[in-house]
Amino acid sequence: MNDVSLDLGGESTAFIGQNGAGKSTLMKLLKGLLVPERGDILINGKNTKDTSAAKLAGEIGLIFQNPNEQIFKHKVFDEVAFGPRRIMDAREAEARTAAALRTVGLFHKKDVNPYDLSLSERKLVAAASVLAMDTDIVIFDEPTMGQDEKGIRTLKAILEDLKGQGKLVLAVLHDMAFAAECFERIVVMAHGEILLDGPPEAVFANEEALKKAGVEPPPVMQLAIRCGFTERPVTKESFLRLYYERR
Amino acid sequence: MSLYVDRPSVIHRLDPLTKLCYIAAAVTVPFICPVKSVALLVAAVTYILLAAGRVVTKVLPLLGFVAPVLLSIFIIQGMFMPDNHALVFRIGPLYFYKEGLSYAALLSLRVIGILGAFSLLVLTTKPSDLIQALMEKGLPPEIGYVLNAVLQIIPQMANALQRITDAQRARGLETDGRLLDRIKAFFPLIGPVVMNAFVETKDRAMALEVRAFNSKTKRTFLHVRKKHPADVALRIMCLAAIILAVVWRLVG
Repeated sequence: MNDVSLDLGGESTAFIGQNGAGKSTLMKLLKGLLVPERGDILINGKNTKDTSAAKLAGEIGLIFQNPNEQIFKHKVFDEVAFGPRRIMDAREAEARTAAALRTVGLFHKKDVNPYDLSLSERKLVAAASVLAMDTDIVIFDEPTMGQDEKGIRTLKAILEDLKGQGKLVLAVLHDMAFAAECFERIVVMAHGEILLDGPPEAVFANEEALKKAGVEPPPVMQLAIRCGFTERPVTKESFLRLYYERR
Repeated sequence: MSLYVDRPSVIHRLDPLTKLCYIAAAVTVPFICPVKSVALLVAAVTYILLAAGRVVTKVLPLLGFVAPVLLSIFIIQGMFMPDNHALVFRIGPLYFYKEGLSYAALLSLRVIGILGAFSLLVLTTKPSDLIQALMEKGLPPEIGYVLNAVLQIIPQMANALQRITDAQRARGLETDGRLLDRIKAFFPLIGPVVMNAFVETKDRAMALEVRAFNSKTKRTFLHVRKKHPADVALRIMCLAAIILAVVWRLVG
């Protein structure tokens, strides 16, 4: 990390860039799992240097890529309730757990052993385990990786729901289509620095900087370029609008 | 995961089996000939070889580790060995005798020599080279694989444990601080480690199987190890040293 200065206010923000660009490191810094050597990170006014990751758990949630690295309970419900039980009273924890399981569409499997679920479902269990902690900030690390179509639809609904509740949603993504569709702000990183920062339309139109970061624009934009469009649509809807206008 | 130190030296280029022969000689000879001069000679040769391998500084921490044990040998033997007669010196009420101190010196020289001999192998040989050398001499490839896998799996598990710790801390688990917190953190941390190890074992077994791990044909090796002309001579010298020691013991 080098000379990174960000104010992550209200907009949902996706972090993109090649492997090793520093995205996951930045998320761990935000979450207090790592502490910066120089500089400060303030979460709701609290410096991450002065508190522990466990104490920040009530304010900022981080959903890891690989659910297998956290699952240890024999029932989905207990797995999801592990975090909430640490930061709130038992009744509230159970209510939040049930609500989170409904949000990810796995309430009917609450008594199943998590290891009997598919990877896609286990990722949703991991997501629910953080959602149930009802944090102001929710970070997703590679949520779309290894996720099937149904899971991605569920994920989109979860993101919309969180945004609707006024929470700050951050994500590390390799899926550009997903980033462009679901996020208001895109931060492009390379070699521990920020190359670009702005709304998806502006960021993905900057072909030169994207090339430098080793990132490809969303497929619809690549299609628009191939079709000879002068505009740079980032979502399927905007592409279709341009397409019908031209016909 | 190994103590191997990569240095350009003659010792590094020797065949691992030659170094094994040297260990055999360096361990047996001082026991067959229980006199201090032999133990001293063997230890001296060993540390000269370590110096030739440019790894002698890496042995010092190991010596530091056994130093308290050696010191206790000197104290116990020096004060309480039954054969003790000739008083050497006293510190207040503590009397130290020549026979005990002499025996302690013999034991210490042996320990220091053996430690150096094993260090010579471990510090100057890549584990995979040693395992390959043993496989070329008939060690079953299955056992060779297990030995290699153990060395690879420890750093992998350490990495996995770090990621799991992060994931659980992110959910509010205190992993450091009070002892009670640490004990409580045990199951959330060890659970995923064990589960992942099981899952990986299955994947690993299948990956090996598709690459014909159980094939019964004779194996060849990707890396052909260079034979050093000195290897045979050195092995004969090691064997000769052991035989000489036995002869000396029987005659003397």
